Amino acid sequence: MFLVKAFILLFFVNQAIAQDIPPQPNPPRMLNDFVMKLNGVEAETLEQKLRGYRDSTSTEISVVIVKNTGDYDPFDYGMKIFNTWGIGKKGKNNGVLLLWATETRKLRIITGRAAEGAIPDAIAKRIINTILKPAFQSNQFYLGLDEATTEMFQRLTGEFKADAVDGEEIPFWVILLVMLFIFFIIYGISKGGGGRGGGRRNYSDGGMFFPTTISSWGSSSSGSWGSSDSGGGGGFDFGGFGGGESGGGGAGGDY
Amino acid sequence: MSKGTIIGLVIAAILVFWGISARNGMATSDQTVKSKWANVQSAYQRRSDLIPNLVKTVQGAANFEKSTITDVINARAGATQMKLDASDLTPENIQKFQAAQSQLSGSLSRLMAVAESYPQLKATQNFSELQAQLEGTENRIKTERDVFNGAVQDFNSNVVKFPNSLIASFSGFKEKGYFEADASAQKAPTVDFPK
Repeated sequence: MFLVKAFILLFFVNQAIAQDIPPQPNPPRMLNDFVMKLNGVEAETLEQKLRGYRDSTSTEISVVIVKNTGDYDPFDYGMKIFNTWGIGKKGKNNGVLLLWATETRKLRIITGRAAEGAIPDAIAKRIINTILKPAFQSNQFYLGLDEATTEMFQRLTGEFKADAVDGEEIPFWVILLVMLFIFFIIYGISKGGGGRGGGRRNYSDGGMFFPTTISSWGSSSSGSWGSSDSGGGGGFDFGGFGGGESGGGGAGGDY
Repeated sequence: MSKGTIIGLVIAAILVFWGISARNGMATSDQTVKSKWANVQSAYQRRSDLIPNLVKTVQGAANFEKSTITDVINARAGATQMKLDASDLTPENIQKFQAAQSQLSGSLSRLMAVAESYPQLKATQNFSELQAQLEGTENRIKTERDVFNGAVQDFNSNVVKFPNSLIASFSGFKEKGYFEADASAQKAPTVDFPK
């Protein structure tokens, strides 16, 4: 019980640190429109497009729409989002972030360390200047984002392969959780019903609690070690970003 | 063996183990600093590599101010001469390295500022992409410097604190230098064009 509480606490502390930037929505999404600039259909189409690309190539392209970037320069703000959310696969660093601040009319592309080759800064600049800018100036926001992401897909195609379903390592904490889980089950069985630490906690209580917690964590982590979720089922959890990092590549502009 | 000797031996063994693990911890964070330093250097190298291209483009513009170009070329030569090995990251050396690089930053940002008054130059795709690359490079430098500073901070607090400092002085680990936000670097992002 204590351990679970500690884990939950840790989770909240982690979220509190990232307060300067919007916390990553739960369930995580590839498109994060915090100002509702896109209508429901557009948002869903773009989300599915980005998810589909992620599933087939492991490359994570996230679009984030915010009102403004606060006291930060769009670059610093975007970098913070990129590295806090961990866009791209860990080790592959194949993430791309397209940040749009609606109020200040700023655009910023940030590339993961390994995506810099396919989308060098000059190309990022070109995507902003020749695709996003003209579209945004005529209020064709969805069109701009759609074309810009398509352009990125084309440039990134062939750079990265989809993750193999197996053959990737299971992180240590998952093993630990599973071991804890087994331990508690055995403990629960050997103790039988009730009697342990007050009447409220009985066997069925413990037995129910752990599986649900673990299965929900399991699904949120599954993407990070490469299981293939179909993602076709609509607004469900795609598994979260993979923990990639950026070294500061990309370009910015306004419209 | 008397009880006293056994206790003494146990304490000695604990101390030895503590010493070994402390020393290993320092060696690990020393390696981290070195690898981050390599990233810092390659970010600066990247900027240095951009310059010939930039100079060529700028020279193409009719009667572009010669002196600013010469400044950049000289500053680049100075900055590339200033090599700093990862095993020698003392505060003084870092400062020298930073001074050489920030001279280049300064002359580069002057060059870009001068370029603003050449509309034909600014309009070319080539120049605007070089500008984007230069901006990206400055951002990379900033990012890698921050990461490096973080690693140095870890290392230094490991090495300076008592009783780790005893182990550090035995094994020759010395405090390393940071990058400081220098005045000219804060002015440097004149490059950052329409952000």
